[in-house]
Amino acid sequence: MNKNKLGTVIGFTFRNKVKTKAFLITTLVLAIIISIAINIPYLIQLFTGEDLKSEGTKIGLVYGQQVELAGQLDSYWKEQNNDEFTFMKYDTSDAAVLKKDIEDGKIDGYLEFSEEQATLFPSVVYSSNEDDGLNPIAQAELSAALQAVKMQVIVKDSLTAEQIAELKTPVQFDAQNINANPNASTVVEEKDEAAEMMEFGVVYLLIILFFFTSMTTGNMIAAEVTTEKSSRIMEILITSVSPLTQMFGKVIGMFLVGLTQIVTFILVIIGNLLMPQNKELLADFNIDLSQVSIDVIVYGFLFYVLGYFLYAVLFAAVGSIVSRTEDLGQAVMPITMLSLAAFYIGSFSMGAPDSMLMKVSSFIPFLSPTTMIVRIGIGEIAMWEIWVSILIMLVSILFFGWLSAKIYRTGVLMYGKRPTIKELRKAMKAYKI
Amino acid sequence: MESLKLEKVTKQFGDKTAVNELSLQVEKGEIYGLLGANGAGKTTTMRMVLGLIYPDGGSIRYNGKPHNDELRQIMGYLPEERGLYPKIKVSDQINYLAQLRGMPRKDADKSLRYWLERFEVPEYYDKRIEELSKGNQQKIGFIAAVVHKPQILILDEAFSGLDPVNVELLKSTVKELRDQGTSILFSTHRMEHVEELCQNITIMHRSNPIVQGSLKEIKGRYPREQVALGTTSEVTGLENIPGVSKVTIQEQGGYLIAISDTSAAQQILQTAMLQSVVEKFELKEPTLNQIFIKEVGESHE
Repeated sequence: MNKNKLGTVIGFTFRNKVKTKAFLITTLVLAIIISIAINIPYLIQLFTGEDLKSEGTKIGLVYGQQVELAGQLDSYWKEQNNDEFTFMKYDTSDAAVLKKDIEDGKIDGYLEFSEEQATLFPSVVYSSNEDDGLNPIAQAELSAALQAVKMQVIVKDSLTAEQIAELKTPVQFDAQNINANPNASTVVEEKDEAAEMMEFGVVYLLIILFFFTSMTTGNMIAAEVTTEKSSRIMEILITSVSPLTQMFGKVIGMFLVGLTQIVTFILVIIGNLLMPQNKELLADFNIDLSQVSIDVIVYGFLFYVLGYFLYAVLFAAVGSIVSRTEDLGQAVMPITMLSLAAFYIGSFSMGAPDSMLMKVSSFIPFLSPTTMIVRIGIGEIAMWEIWVSILIMLVSILFFGWLSAKIYRTGVLMYGKRPTIKELRKAMKAYKI
Repeated sequence: MESLKLEKVTKQFGDKTAVNELSLQVEKGEIYGLLGANGAGKTTTMRMVLGLIYPDGGSIRYNGKPHNDELRQIMGYLPEERGLYPKIKVSDQINYLAQLRGMPRKDADKSLRYWLERFEVPEYYDKRIEELSKGNQQKIGFIAAVVHKPQILILDEAFSGLDPVNVELLKSTVKELRDQGTSILFSTHRMEHVEELCQNITIMHRSNPIVQGSLKEIKGRYPREQVALGTTSEVTGLENIPGVSKVTIQEQGGYLIAISDTSAAQQILQTAMLQSVVEKFELKEPTLNQIFIKEVGESHE
């Protein structure tokens, strides 16, 4: 293989692909989609959250017959220092007046105690002109407050203030992992959880990136080879440069195209996350980019490269046996299926990364790029397992690279209908390849 | 020394023999004609010469050496179904192809500009192939084959699909390359091109070389069987001369007389001179087309 010529093929492939409109548009559209997706939480906050906060809910509190209860509720609420909603006192229980005030916007709704005395504590009704009544948070706060008032009313003075406070605190319920370091403080545990979340996200991102870029670049390779064949430039190419140089030049060139795309996406993601509004949001969710484990990234990249080359040589081989671009979709179907299997096994098993299915498939060359990343990122894995899997990948790349080069060498000279395996083998023999 | 020498080259595809014991040699600065019907084995022969496929028997030698990687730099190829990248600029792809053939980019660009100038289409430098007409695409295809100044040039149906003006342009270019010392293996269906360009030819029929040698010598092997006669007035009784098998009156005046014996020609001339004034008399040598049809049994124009 001539190094100079390999460089020429790589350069030509890369330049011409990156310059195409299709590539530029896909990359741009995806970058925009990623930006929007990252900013969605902020946008939601912008449109809803701020609105709710700016004007707190005002609730009319009808004293009516239950002056004592209403007074207790009001004073209890004031003690809480919560601005989720505020009470406005109404002595009258005249529905018409209250309704008018709701319509005028003075209050959002009103709270009324029923007059029955059948139970110790009357039932409470909230009336407003909105279908969904109070927002869930306010509703929860309100019923907690009512619960507290109810307790006060029932126990009266039979319990001390401390006892009442003790009653109100919910039971402390802690889950404990017996394997965890007993000395670890809760703060560290919380951080671990955040890191785990982060790792989960990174693994998922890596799987998607692997699947997406290998499929698009792989299909581009196949399409390119078929185009060269159908436009008959192949005959000139193959007399100028050895098929092996040609095939690997294309594969490497397209790899650089994929890498360019990935780097672009990563820059877009990082750029978006560093914007001030998203920085706060990240902090809210306890996400710290520095917590991303370097191991996952490094192995992720390694398996991406290996996986890409494994799939790419197959795509090149398939491209070489197809004579017309229209037949290409059908011909690459088996490879697409294989990659879909890798994607789904990987992503569906993220909840159970140490299952037998995952253990087995992380050693199967076409599946390991995704499954291994899940195991490294989320599951538990021994170092030797990773390296055995890498070794298997390398051996498969050599084998399939060699096989694909043979198919490529034969396929590019065969025109007409797609040859069967038998015809291909016969042709290989005839061409002495 | 011959640039290209094939010795008893044989190629089989399964049970079918594609080329059977073909020997030929192309000298430096020679255009060698390879003729034959479709499926006669021309393309297979060319592919073997190019090293795309290997012969089952016999040997192919280039400047005395067997096939090797250096050949990629000194060979040029214009395939029958010529192709270029439809969506890529002429300059980009020609320079790419030249670089693959081992030419530095700068030299390649210079050579491309020279050829575009030579074909009077310098404005195509920045055009994409799909923007060009079919004939012009062919010119670019031809440039792709010669841009790196090959020593051995393989042209498969170089002139098909071109208009007469461009055929002349390409023909003169091919002759020029020959005069510069390029060895050219040339296949075509157009016999008049072969008669004009080639010194030596091979006619292949069903995988076998059936007629081989220098054009002159081959023609000498076939008897002269036609007389062209032009007179000022009508001549009668020509068909009664012994040895004359058929008399055809030509559209533009004059006669075309088929003879089975060369001695009949003298009698035809005498008869004509007695009756009228002879303006033209020619004992025609067989055209390559006639030889081809005679040997292969069908026309391939």
